[in-house]
Amino acid sequence: MLKTVIIIFSLLYCEVNHAQCDSINDSSAQHISLKLSYNSSLIYPGLSTGIEFPFKNVNVQLHKKERPVRCIRKGKFISGNINWYHHPDFHDNLYLTAEWMMRRTRYTGFISEFSVGPGFSRTFLGGTTYRVDDKGNISIVKLAGYNYALFTLGGGFGYDFSMKKQLPFSAIAKMNIISMFPYNSTIYFRPVLELGIRYTPGRGKSKIIREPVTISK
Amino acid sequence: MRKAFFFSLILLFSGCQKEKITISGKVSEAFYVENAGASMRVLVEGNTASKAYILFIHGGPGVSSYFYDTKYISQNIGDKYAIVYWDQRNAGASQGTNNGGNLHLDQMAEDLKKVIEILKFRYGQDMSLFLMGHSFGGLLAADFLTRPGYQNMIKGFIDVDGSHNYPLNDTLTREALLTEGNYQISQQRNINDWAPIISFCISHKGNFTLEDSQQLETFATQAENYVDSIKHINIVNLILKYSIPDQIPLSALLCNLLYSEDSNFNKELAITQFSSSLGAVTIPVLVLWGKYDFTCPRALGEDFYNRISSTDKRIVISDKSGHNMIFQDKEFLCNEVDTFVQNHK
Repeated sequence: MLKTVIIIFSLLYCEVNHAQCDSINDSSAQHISLKLSYNSSLIYPGLSTGIEFPFKNVNVQLHKKERPVRCIRKGKFISGNINWYHHPDFHDNLYLTAEWMMRRTRYTGFISEFSVGPGFSRTFLGGTTYRVDDKGNISIVKLAGYNYALFTLGGGFGYDFSMKKQLPFSAIAKMNIISMFPYNSTIYFRPVLELGIRYTPGRGKSKIIREPVTISK
Repeated sequence: MRKAFFFSLILLFSGCQKEKITISGKVSEAFYVENAGASMRVLVEGNTASKAYILFIHGGPGVSSYFYDTKYISQNIGDKYAIVYWDQRNAGASQGTNNGGNLHLDQMAEDLKKVIEILKFRYGQDMSLFLMGHSFGGLLAADFLTRPGYQNMIKGFIDVDGSHNYPLNDTLTREALLTEGNYQISQQRNINDWAPIISFCISHKGNFTLEDSQQLETFATQAENYVDSIKHINIVNLILKYSIPDQIPLSALLCNLLYSEDSNFNKELAITQFSSSLGAVTIPVLVLWGKYDFTCPRALGEDFYNRISSTDKRIVISDKSGHNMIFQDKEFLCNEVDTFVQNHK
């Protein structure tokens, strides 16, 4: 067992030492993006739209034995989103989220990303809601539903069309877990699948710089 | 622009909540009843034109009415009568915020009263309403029926493997497990499976704690798998089968079930009994029980039957059912319910 652990650590150590990387801040990638996606909770339909503000973009070139092996762009963003899904007979959920996102874009255009953030949810019950008072009078509750605090956590992948072609679009597929609380005195979890397009106006061909750079770590 | 946006939002969501009341031979419509911090989902399906309604009081606490809404029920009772699936507070698709403090039996009996009032408001005061309680639903129904005047709101009660007395339930579960376990072992069947059950029952003779009670319930559920005569059911398969066509909010069901199973409410239930007050029940009653029900043993059904004052009452035992007659002997259940409702509507 100990032998196996030592071998794994030795291999990792060698990899880390042989693979070096250069990085450079890329201000050309600092563009606001707009997002529109189908926000399905598996089979239940919905929509999501949002705006993304980049606050850091770094191009990184990985080397192995002094040869560049991989170029990636590491970006950090803050996004604001308005989302909605419809679950018949259960509820409609309109929720706002503010997310902190971390994204890696490869030279090939492949994207992987992770996001986390708080939010606010307002549900609308999936049917007429009645209330009976102490005297037995029955009334209909208008826009019945509840307010919840919300937390979202998600990860996904996609393709950035600006890397290879002159298109300021990305396609994304992302799985989010939203949690709402206090929901019946507990926490309600719901998986939400996002399939959509991100539009970045002002960004045409946005190639990752592959030239040698001076900053190294 | 901003006003138009908010106006369209209001239109969109108020459209989903528009009152829809259908009187016909084939209905499926949901509404909500708001009471004491909970909005409880009520689904009405079947023949509302018949003016005869059967309201399911599901088990648990925390299990949902979604599990009772089967294709067989729809086709064999729902074609003649309207079936009402009510999700109790903190169960199924019922919603709310910080409402756990209201999760207790008295509140749930009041919830049931309000559900009935709203049903009559929607579909007519002249409806013939029957309650059908299963498992924990039997306890809730017993609470409701023994409240002064409440039983006058309904035409009859159907008790399907319900529990009206939790302390007695534990004692009878232990006895039933011991009797069946010893018999199965004498027949050289599933000896290794029955051994820990017998051992637990021998070492726990009475004065059960909540943990003992929960362990007995777990053994009672497992024991059904060790008796060949019972039709075995796979709950996970059933959930997968019905989750998409019935649009079940699975994660809500799970969150509510976990909360209810673990709440202090269960401590209150463990000492709750209605045996002493069942004499107040005078409406027509049908008692249906599974011969191999260890969770709520047959003797519990007999205790209920013997204690009520109803002159119009009937008890029938299914020879192949355990605790879940709706799946284990559905033909028997539907035939008996149909006859009872037909005779009393």
